[in-house]
Amino acid sequence: MKRVLVVTGVLLLSVGAVVAQQDVAVQQQNLMKAQGKNMYGVLLKVVKGETPFDQAAVNAALAGLEADVAKIPTVFTPNPKVDVVDATFGSSQKIWQNKPDFDAKVTPVTKAIVDAKGTAKDAASLKVAFDAIQAKCTDCHETYRVKLK
Amino acid sequence: MLRRILLGLIVAAAGAGIFWWLTIPAVVAPASLAAYTPNVANGLAVFNAGGCSSCHAVPSQPDRLKLGGGLAMPSPFGTFTVPNISPDLTEGIGRWSEADFVTALLKGTSPDGRHYFPAFPYASYQQASVADARDLFAYLKTLAPVAGKTPDHDLPFPFNIRRNVGIWKWLFMDGKPFTADASRSPSWNRGAYLVNGLGHCAECHSPRNVLGGIVATQRFAGGPNPEGEGWVPNITQKRLGDWSAKDIEYFLESGQTPDGDTAGGSMARVIRNTSQLSPGDRAAMAEYLKSLPPVEGPPRSSKAKQKEG
Ligand code: HEC
Ligand code: HEC
Ligand code: HEC
Repeated sequence: MKRVLVVTGVLLLSVGAVVAQQDVAVQQQNLMKAQGKNMYGVLLKVVKGETPFDQAAVNAALAGLEADVAKIPTVFTPNPKVDVVDATFGSSQKIWQNKPDFDAKVTPVTKAIVDAKGTAKDAASLKVAFDAIQAKCTDCHETYRVKLK
Repeated sequence: MLRRILLGLIVAAAGAGIFWWLTIPAVVAPASLAAYTPNVANGLAVFNAGGCSSCHAVPSQPDRLKLGGGLAMPSPFGTFTVPNISPDLTEGIGRWSEADFVTALLKGTSPDGRHYFPAFPYASYQQASVADARDLFAYLKTLAPVAGKTPDHDLPFPFNIRRNVGIWKWLFMDGKPFTADASRSPSWNRGAYLVNGLGHCAECHSPRNVLGGIVATQRFAGGPNPEGEGWVPNITQKRLGDWSAKDIEYFLESGQTPDGDTAGGSMARVIRNTSQLSPGDRAAMAEYLKSLPPVEGPPRSSKAKQKEG
């Protein structure tokens, strides 16, 4: 009986550990999804002419992006070692082999967003700013984001 | 007994002979190249369609035209280091003849008559036209020479034996240039030429067998990323069925997918090339991709897997 209890306990513990790792992975992914919402759900639609240019909405999206991007180095500090269940994207293990380089990819994004806050005054200038931000997001995704399906 | 040994020797000798014969590197004879004035502007288009800069540009610097090589390419067979193809006279291809270059690109054979490894995607480039290859050579000659020798490949035995590549070529390369399908539109044929030949899209977007050859029945159906982690997506209509031709065109121009995301991973480098193509060429590629029948890709484990840290 005792043995059964111990075995069950150990099993529960390890299940708990995997769940905790899932939570970390989900939290990391949600941060990126939030950035995706501002970037593609708001800004890209204006760039493509699907929604009219609205300075307040653009400013809000840029402010949201700036705040989220600043969180990347901390949120990605733990290595969950698992992918979010059934996700399209995951994190490369290279992040935790070279965390300083990963973190260094954040600064150029922030700079591009700050620049955009000063220059995006209509759909045309937003397009230039959008491409500049996107290029920096891609610089990180090229090395550290992994497509899973 | 003696007879059996003799028989064995004969079989071995015949085997060696067949091996030798099968693995003779193919070349393009200089005499077969008639007088020609290359079109450098088309050479630039060929360069962008072929994505040469993705592999041959010096890594971690922004100039796509600095073709000094040095990128390390991990693979299941070892690590390749991409060579210098700038017009440098000692370390690059500055002293190459036009026939040397056409042979390298279309046959995968070096000027000293050895096989290149298929990490250089000549199994796709072989479909390019000789005229495109000559224009590309003329264009490469206009670029700045980059000094510096790249390190050797790091390959274990037997993958380091170049002669063995002859068998690989015999198995996986048909040696035929692209042939147009007269029942299709000129733009479809242009797209098929770009996607299968210069664009070498199938090299990443297809599963491979143990010998590293593309599984022909699952061409374009995606598979595990040969360079490491993750998956290269299926680009047949199995997955791209709900992308319009315009969506594909816009993706090749900007990297933006219709579901609100942007290409990352090794596709980011591909977009840096396709974004430089003419709108007509991107539309042709999209038309061709939309015509690919849906093909189920290889199975992948659906459960989140514990990774080795
Ligand atoms: C420092 C590296 C880094 C930067 C900078 C970065 N990302 Fe990411 N991004 C990642 C990683 C790693 C993942 C994979 C994590 C996951 O999805 O689980 C990811 C995933 C994503 C995803 C896919 C989420 C999903 O699974 O659906 C989106 C969308 C995204 N990022 C948007 C952005 C945008 C927009 C920017 C620029 C404003 C950006 N990212 C900047 C590293 C980065
Ligand atoms: C996927 C990466 C990749 C791409 C794309 C690529 N190459 Fe290469 N290339 C290589 C590798 C790896 C080698 C070394 C092969 C070997 O040593 O057997 C190579 C070798 C060569 C060589 C022989 C160089 C020498 O010193 O002998 C030439 C020439 C060349 N490539 C030209 C091109 C051109 C032109 C393009 C574009 C049309 C191109 N390559 C695209 C990876 C690539
Ligand atoms: C060097 C390898 C490589 C080559 C060559 C390549 N791809 Fe890709 N492709 C990828 C990877 C990896 C992805 C996943 C991108 C990501 O992680 O965001 C991808 C994504 C795509 C997608 C998006 C599919 C989806 O489900 O989101 C399309 C469409 C595509 N590629 C088309 C092409 C075409 C057309 C070519 C030829 C011009 C090509 N690819 C050449 C590696 C490659």
